[in-house]
Amino acid sequence: MTVAMARTTAGVYDRLFRPGQVHRDLYVDPQLFELEMRDLFGRTWVYVGHETEIPKPNDFVTRNLGRRPIILCRTTAGEIAVLINRCPHRGAVVCRSARGNAGGFTCGYHAWSFANDGRCAGLPLRHAYGEGFRLRDHDMARPARVASYRGFVFASMIADVPPLDEHLAGARRYIDQWLDRDDRKPVLVNNGVMRFRTHANWKTVYDNAGDGYHPPFSHESMLRVFAARYGDVDMKYFTADVDDSAMEAIDLGNGHTMLDQRPAMHAVSAWERQHVMPGREILEQRLFERFGAERGRQMLDASTGSGMNLNIFPNLLIIGNQVQRVDPLAVDETVIDWFSTSLAGAPDEINAARMRLQEDFPSFGEVDDSANFEACQAGLALVPELEWVDISRHLTTGRGRRGADGLWHEPVTSDRHMRAYFEAWKALMDAGSAARLREGGGR
Amino acid sequence: MNAHPAVPFSLDHYAALHDLVRSWRNLGEIPEERLPAPADGAACARLLAAEARLLDAGRLADWLALFTADCAYWLPTDVTGEDPAKFVAWEFNDRRRLEERVERLATGRAYSQAPPTRTVHLLSGLEMLTDGPDGMQVLANFLIQTNFAGRVGQRAGWTGYLLRRQHGRWRIALKRINLFDADLPQDNNSFTL
Ligand code: FES
Ligand SMILES: [Fe+2]
Repeated sequence: MTVAMARTTAGVYDRLFRPGQVHRDLYVDPQLFELEMRDLFGRTWVYVGHETEIPKPNDFVTRNLGRRPIILCRTTAGEIAVLINRCPHRGAVVCRSARGNAGGFTCGYHAWSFANDGRCAGLPLRHAYGEGFRLRDHDMARPARVASYRGFVFASMIADVPPLDEHLAGARRYIDQWLDRDDRKPVLVNNGVMRFRTHANWKTVYDNAGDGYHPPFSHESMLRVFAARYGDVDMKYFTADVDDSAMEAIDLGNGHTMLDQRPAMHAVSAWERQHVMPGREILEQRLFERFGAERGRQMLDASTGSGMNLNIFPNLLIIGNQVQRVDPLAVDETVIDWFSTSLAGAPDEINAARMRLQEDFPSFGEVDDSANFEACQAGLALVPELEWVDISRHLTTGRGRRGADGLWHEPVTSDRHMRAYFEAWKALMDAGSAARLREGGGR
Repeated sequence: MNAHPAVPFSLDHYAALHDLVRSWRNLGEIPEERLPAPADGAACARLLAAEARLLDAGRLADWLALFTADCAYWLPTDVTGEDPAKFVAWEFNDRRRLEERVERLATGRAYSQAPPTRTVHLLSGLEMLTDGPDGMQVLANFLIQTNFAGRVGQRAGWTGYLLRRQHGRWRIALKRINLFDADLPQDNNSFTL
């Protein structure tokens, strides 16, 4: 983008931001939502899925990329490919299955067919298109860029984005830490998905992913039950003044952030501070019999929640042992897909424990989060006179510091997460509107 | 299933549950020799009617009393009968986690159930198969009419029950709630299905 062009649109979104506050339109304006799908989800790296979801050649899953239907597949040759799931003929959605294994896709309308790398393979009664017709002009479209970081596949609709590694910035080392626990068995994202629908804007979900302030209040019901039964377990550490704890919020750049609960959760043994779950005793006993108590506990510690909330803007949240994909459907409707994970080559007891552990927070905690998201959406949408939302925690307390890692660290209840990602939001949206103006495209 | 019960929630137990679900998915007509004695069938039907009534009345402590000590309340995420040792469920609760669930809802701080979802549980097409002398498997379609804070909804699917006779009374050892769209986005299911 040229500097002159940027000037012509600079400022269109300024009205949405004040120090420590953001405007309700960000959450409730349907036109702004449409622009986000174009200028934000259409112009940055968006998380699509994990390579282990499609382990075999010809495996595929269908997804959305900022509402655009896409197919994530492993081609017959074994390459990862992302296709825009729209027929180049009249525009029909080609593949209508959620997942499967197929060497190619045939459109249901006029039977144009495509290999799973998107190449047009054939179409009926071709002669009517005349002499100059070439199949290769009718391939399925693909996002301009597709790249993986350690199995996490991202796609960008435009070519003009920084390399994925650069975009991930400070998040890369935390992805590494999340993957490389214990003896670094490969993490598989192929053990079932909980698909939560919430009637709230997608950013309300992203806001919450870095909100270290809400747990003792939003999750009081859960914390109370577990504390009454089991004492000092799980996230009970959140019921003290956590800003004086070793937990922290870290700004990773480009809208990515991290809440690090590991200093509290993994201080001694995460498995020991994990309250019971179905089968805890028998699975532990069998592991200790096979591997000894010390090694058994190490394996269990490494399969208890990671103690990390790693938020990769705009739609990838790594929380505990789960991978979440945030899927905006409408200004007030979002699907949050919670992908569960297992460890390749781990004892079956470890993976069984992981399944039961990964059911805990969703049914005892996420449900309350989702209800609060919907309450926010209702309050913001229904009261037009009250326009501003507060994001000012630790804005003026001077508690932030530049760490030896070069990253900015704040107390764990800080709203730095929101301030950081809204900066990335505004930069992308400004660049997007400038680009549309330059291209003369308007909407 | 009852002949050699595995330690609850051990790998053997998961394997047995996986087999049970597979047998339900493959079931044709119920074989003559597994049809229950009329009195047992009627007693089991009464148990399930009482279960639905207690849920709809929000009497969760009384509802819990209908379950065995080694029970499971299971709400899968899949519609393909996957292995519970390898596949995450929406909920897979033993008796302890089921009690915790009920305790959570009773704290007055469970915002997902403020106000509580109102429900009417309808069961239809009950099919029963004996499972040894003191066991009964029951399959039934369900429809749950819901109203959460004014938003009307429905949940539908089929439930597989494993009932066991203990001291002369039928109790629920397994309730597997198979939402017909469990693999698709779900709204607030934090009420008790
Ligand atoms: S729209 Fe796909 S073949 Fe015509
Ligand atoms: Fe939360």
